Amino acid sequence: MVLALTNVYAKTYSQVVTLHQKNASVEKVLRSIEKQTGYHFMYDKQDVSKASAINIEVAGVSLQQALDQAFKDQPLTYKIFQETIVVKKKDDVAAAEPADIKISGTVSDTKGALPGVSVRIKGSDLGTQTDVSGKYTLNVPANATLVFSFIGYNTQEVAVGGRTTVNVTMTESQRALSEVVVVGYGTQKRVDLTGSVGSVGSKQLQERPQTNLEQELAGKLAGVNVSTNSGAPGGETKIRIRGYSSINTNTDPLYVVDGVVWTEGGNSINPADIESVDVLKDASSTAIYGTRGANGVILVTTKRGKTGTGTISYDSYVSVSNMAKEIPVLNSKEFMQVEDLSYANIKKYDPVGWAAGNYASRDPKLQRTALIGKLFDQNLQPLYDVDWQKATTRSAVSQNHNVSFTGGTDKMNYGLFLNYADDEGIILNSYLKRYNARLTFDNQIKSWLKVGATLNYNTQDQRTADDGTGGNNIPRMLIEMVPFIPIRYPDGTYGKRTDYPNLEGGDNPVAQANEIEALYKKRIFSGNGYLNINLLPGLDFRSTLGVTTSANYNPHFQSGLVGGSTAGQQYSSASISEANNTFWQWENHLTYNKVFNKVHTINVVLGAEQQNFQQTGFGASTGTLSDNFYQYYNLGAGQVPGIPSSNYDAWQMRSFFGRLNYNYKEKYLLTVTGREDGSSRFGTNVKNGFFPSAAFAWRASQEDFLKDNKTISDLKFRASYGLTGNSEIGEYRSLANISTVNYVFGGAQAIGTQQSTIGNENLSWEKTAEYDLGFSLGLFNNRVNIEADAYLKKTKELLLNAPLPETSGFNSVYKNIGRLQNKGLELTINTQNVKTENFTWNSSFNISFLKNKILQLGASNDDIFLNPTFLSQFNLMRVGLPAGSFYGYKVLGTWGSAEESQASVYGRHPGDLKIQDTNGDGKITSADKVILGKGTPDGYGTFSNTFRYKNIDLGVDLQFNYGNQIMNLTRHSGQDRTGQANSYATVLNAWTPTNQNTSIAEDRPAYVGYQTEIYSTKVENGNFIRGRAATLGYTFPTQMISKIKLSRLRVYFQAQNLFVITKYTGYDPEVSTYNGSSNFTQGIQFYDYPKPRTFLLGLNVSL
Amino acid sequence: MKFNLKKYRIGYSLLILTIMVSSCKKDLVEKDKGNFVKSNYFTTSTQARTFVNGIYQKLYLFQNGDAYGESPFITLELFAGHATSLGQSVNNGNVIKQITDAVNPGFEDVWSNSYNAISNANIALANIPGIANFADADKKKLLGEVYFLRAFFYYHLVRLYGDVPLITAPVTITSPDLYPSRAATSAVYDQIISDLKAAEASGMAETDATGKVSLGAVRTLLASVYLTTAGYPLQKTANYALAAQEVLPVLSDYTLFDKYDYLHDNAHKNQGELIFQSNYLVGVATNAIPQLTVPFNLLVGAYGDHLGAMIPTNEFVASYEAGDLRTVERQFYFSSYPSYKDGSTIIFGEHALYKYFHLESAAASGQSDENWTFLRLPEAQLIYAEATNEVSGPTQAAYDQVNKIRTRAKLAPLSGLTKDQFRIAIWKERYHELAYEDKAYFDMQRTHMAYVVNSNTFGDPTTTKTEQNIQFKPQYYLWPIPQREISTNSKLTQNTGW
Repeated sequence: MVLALTNVYAKTYSQVVTLHQKNASVEKVLRSIEKQTGYHFMYDKQDVSKASAINIEVAGVSLQQALDQAFKDQPLTYKIFQETIVVKKKDDVAAAEPADIKISGTVSDTKGALPGVSVRIKGSDLGTQTDVSGKYTLNVPANATLVFSFIGYNTQEVAVGGRTTVNVTMTESQRALSEVVVVGYGTQKRVDLTGSVGSVGSKQLQERPQTNLEQELAGKLAGVNVSTNSGAPGGETKIRIRGYSSINTNTDPLYVVDGVVWTEGGNSINPADIESVDVLKDASSTAIYGTRGANGVILVTTKRGKTGTGTISYDSYVSVSNMAKEIPVLNSKEFMQVEDLSYANIKKYDPVGWAAGNYASRDPKLQRTALIGKLFDQNLQPLYDVDWQKATTRSAVSQNHNVSFTGGTDKMNYGLFLNYADDEGIILNSYLKRYNARLTFDNQIKSWLKVGATLNYNTQDQRTADDGTGGNNIPRMLIEMVPFIPIRYPDGTYGKRTDYPNLEGGDNPVAQANEIEALYKKRIFSGNGYLNINLLPGLDFRSTLGVTTSANYNPHFQSGLVGGSTAGQQYSSASISEANNTFWQWENHLTYNKVFNKVHTINVVLGAEQQNFQQTGFGASTGTLSDNFYQYYNLGAGQVPGIPSSNYDAWQMRSFFGRLNYNYKEKYLLTVTGREDGSSRFGTNVKNGFFPSAAFAWRASQEDFLKDNKTISDLKFRASYGLTGNSEIGEYRSLANISTVNYVFGGAQAIGTQQSTIGNENLSWEKTAEYDLGFSLGLFNNRVNIEADAYLKKTKELLLNAPLPETSGFNSVYKNIGRLQNKGLELTINTQNVKTENFTWNSSFNISFLKNKILQLGASNDDIFLNPTFLSQFNLMRVGLPAGSFYGYKVLGTWGSAEESQASVYGRHPGDLKIQDTNGDGKITSADKVILGKGTPDGYGTFSNTFRYKNIDLGVDLQFNYGNQIMNLTRHSGQDRTGQANSYATVLNAWTPTNQNTSIAEDRPAYVGYQTEIYSTKVENGNFIRGRAATLGYTFPTQMISKIKLSRLRVYFQAQNLFVITKYTGYDPEVSTYNGSSNFTQGIQFYDYPKPRTFLLGLNVSL
Repeated sequence: MKFNLKKYRIGYSLLILTIMVSSCKKDLVEKDKGNFVKSNYFTTSTQARTFVNGIYQKLYLFQNGDAYGESPFITLELFAGHATSLGQSVNNGNVIKQITDAVNPGFEDVWSNSYNAISNANIALANIPGIANFADADKKKLLGEVYFLRAFFYYHLVRLYGDVPLITAPVTITSPDLYPSRAATSAVYDQIISDLKAAEASGMAETDATGKVSLGAVRTLLASVYLTTAGYPLQKTANYALAAQEVLPVLSDYTLFDKYDYLHDNAHKNQGELIFQSNYLVGVATNAIPQLTVPFNLLVGAYGDHLGAMIPTNEFVASYEAGDLRTVERQFYFSSYPSYKDGSTIIFGEHALYKYFHLESAAASGQSDENWTFLRLPEAQLIYAEATNEVSGPTQAAYDQVNKIRTRAKLAPLSGLTKDQFRIAIWKERYHELAYEDKAYFDMQRTHMAYVVNSNTFGDPTTTKTEQNIQFKPQYYLWPIPQREISTNSKLTQNTGW
């Protein structure tokens, strides 16, 4: 019988073995090696049973040395395939028995050939293993059944049926408990973890291909909330790990790629390059990252070369996207109808002006008559009726290609990974293109010295269509461009909103998409190299140097055909802004592993790190280009040059860190970490901080009373506490800065300076203390896995941009003041519902509950309002409430005809909005504002199911989110007012004497006065269930494709964003258009880039 | 020679660590190569000049505008009640209807920018005197500009908000002035007068054609301060004489333009009758004055927006005497104009302010760099006439000054009026000549009288309705202290009625 001891999905682990065994069984020795190295063994029990007891005494030797020593006098030999060591009898098993026919074949999995797979004739002890190419040959009886088994994979039985070639594709079994996860400055087996770490492997990442990593992470992990807030190519994503631990300071997680801090954002990592992503969530895991750990840490391990014969893989997809939802707006006839009604209503709202004839010249009939032939026919009916949402969007065709070449020997491996992605946006002309090349290399130069390097080059070119929020931009004009003005007139000129009097400025969105070129070009070059020296048995020294440079070149050009009330060259403009970033990190650490008295295992990490970032940037602009020909290529050709700008920005950090892992009998696990950080960003009085953590875990399933339990296969309890910091406030915040401004004397520029910040030499980091309690439970041989965590995160000494009395000359100052609390529950359940040879059904469910509360703000707990402050300050921070509450007036409906006298108390008429007079003082003032909602959800999660029938797989991925509200500010210009621009079709339900039961005020031109504020009518329910992805795949049988020399071939069809169940009336409830303006902008939107629905055809090939 | 790499592996590791730790010794001081910090500034006379230039930049605050049509220079006129605002600004509408409140962002805009200017002036006054290698005379002149600017902003604050915190030294995070109380109006005026006297004694030039503070500006402003303090709320009537005396030299330093066009073109900035302006230049700083004042959404110029946010009432335009040149089309006002788009004539159906129409930008890029005028000769002339009249009745010199303005407007000279009649005539002249230049509301504050255009008389604003059917609420004599300041500083109290 072939046994698998454990299923270790190894990534990196110690290469050094220490053994002190007397009269030990072979199995015991192998277990011990396995624990230390992460390698796993497979062997035939019969073979091993013939071996005698082993006496071995080695320390800090290589694996090979240890095994040679152990098997010195034994009838055993071994062979290493990747991380698997196959132990077998010294004589050749395959040749042992005569047989009828000779068969051969290849065994593979979805990634390629599988070496070391046991191939056995059912009902006998005869068998063999596959070689490094996954190939085997065996003599068998013609009617035999072969049993294929391999660690971590489901065992398969295949009848030979007279064939001479039998190819098999192995499917992976549940292996969650045996994973190795990357933690800061090292790795750990998942079973040994004391903290809360979520992991995603490359296979899961590839299930739903996206152009950016953050979108692929969405919904994969409990406690990790990824919002894709725009439908633009590449999206505008926001990741929050375990809530919001800061108000004014950055709450983005820290990215670390292959041990080096990644400064260029998750969206510039090619998802196809990723081997695994490990997310450190609790403070005991993140404390090793000190001042940068408070928002969680995303550790990315990229793919590297693999030992074995060379492999070439090609993965690609082509997709078609369309606008998922269209929002009803007024068509031409409806617009005219509303405009006429509005005009007629003037006499009610300004009787004096109406009587005086002030509005006679604004009569729509006059305006239309003047435009007969151009916009209207003889009967004053509109000539055009444009659906701008359709006109400005398209079926976007995107493609993505990845080619990789990998290979290696026992000591050396290499990998070359190439990517081309062209992601078209559904708004005309918008796109994101990426070219990526990565080269990796690892070499065991000496038995004690290993070196490796990665070089990565990334180019991204993006053309956006949704720059800016508010003004004359495309997403706004999709709704607000009027339908009766054409895209182009018969003479080819663009229709403009100002072609009709009384409409405000604004260009048709098709013209904007064509005539405005907003480009973002990014070139990232990054490289890192490491050196690993084995100093003494169990003691390793590792030095890593990483450098990332990025050049950001952002040209912008607008032709004279848009931007003004008429077409004219004076509206043309061009600008270029550039930012060049250099980051380097040099990190050195020592790792020491030792087992004492066979039961005490310790792992110690001690290290130091230096980080340095520098940015130089510049910008130049010009207006009134003499000719559109020049675009942004010749700024000198503009007649109204702007003032050039440049900037310098730099920070440094130096750190010392250490960690101790202690493990007693695999039952009790303890982790203690500490990090001392010094950062340039803080006041002269406070440059250094210390961040400790401790965690304890108990593997109850290792106790005798559970060891042989048939139901509970794994059970572990975890508890941790840690302190982390947040230093992400940008640079120069503690200083009294003198900045430059411009004035004019004598018709010439005069430079001025002003003190722009008050200065705070006591400015320091904010500190987040986090408690975490969790357990993991495996049932029925791990067919059911449950992981749950509860956490309490308290941030104190908030780096608050605290308001100052403006009498000081300053608005605010960064101060360490205030407290914030996040608490939550996270639950992940993975189950293997059905598991038969031909059919499997796996489910994965995760849900996160989150509660955020402000405990203290400033000295007197004054309210703070964050941006945006559209219409009024509404993004409220108030003690006792969740951060980012929406604050405004409650609309009770509209005043009815019978309520004229009550309405007049407030200076209102029937038909006006009825606002709640909360304090009952007979007037509507800011004192009547109430809490209307909040942007952060109560809970979110994912439910996914995977079905596999023979070679066909089907995956369905549902995402849900509840408890948050959306501040739909578009109702301000799209509903509160009419006539100046197009409106939502909802205004057809506005108040009229015969339609009084409505909360939309009576139509009237905005210029006679209308009501608009932050109203409850702008706050919408943000709950949703999204059919995020449905995938149907087919993996070609190995025996079929091996004829064309392929080891793997899979095709799949996928639908993304298939449906959204929501009450929200906008394009998509996952939305924010104010991403840069403050931390709490989720759900606040003023015209977003619509979301696409995408159908995708993909292909995975390996040879 | 064979070298045993392995033997020395511990050594290499130690070497790497040593290099690293020693490289870490570099201090963690933050260096910004792009900007100074306070601790390394104020070392040269050029830095001093530059810092003072920075205070001037805050003069732009009155023209801060947005696409809704809100801007302090408009808010000030809406308070006076002779303008309507089309556009879609809810705040403008609330001011006109007198239902606005302390959260109206315009109130905070003026407050915060004024105090920012004062803060920088305080920093300049504290740090410039210590700069070495800076000739005393030049230093004194420069500080004179700072004194003027501090007085200028305090003068606006004290009139708009009443008792305001009086801060005259730099504020740091630890200074008690960080959370100040309100100072009495009279104390603020004392500081203003003291600052203006310091400016007057600084040795600066009589006039300045580049836009810097001149002696003429100092005197005109001080005269305005005296005139104001002679009225409500302080009623120091002795200051009328001081006002007349202070402004007298100004009357001969400046001359009236021949054409009203020169008030708003690029060729005559800081010249002729223009005493003090905020200065603009395309490519450096532009404003939205024309965009805000052209008729609502009628394409009379190359502007992206036509906001119609300050439209004179027809009644006000009709209140000018018959034959007044200023009411002739395209002098102070206009009611039709060729469409920028196709040249066809646009009839506005209302009067818009030609006074602020900027031909240069309307015909070209739509980017306006017309200057905003704070002080000009007619105001000085009318201060002189009014103050003199209060001291000694209508003197010939007083008649001469007002009649220069009337003559230019093709109106008959005034003569033979009683003291009361002359006062009313001067007030009317102020309304008509300085129309929509942010003087009317301040005149209402100091006189407690409003121009009732329908009857061409003056009346108590709190009992007399304007042509827009609005009766002034007493609280509207002052602006509210911005709600944000009340919330941030518990020592501040709100003005009565707000």
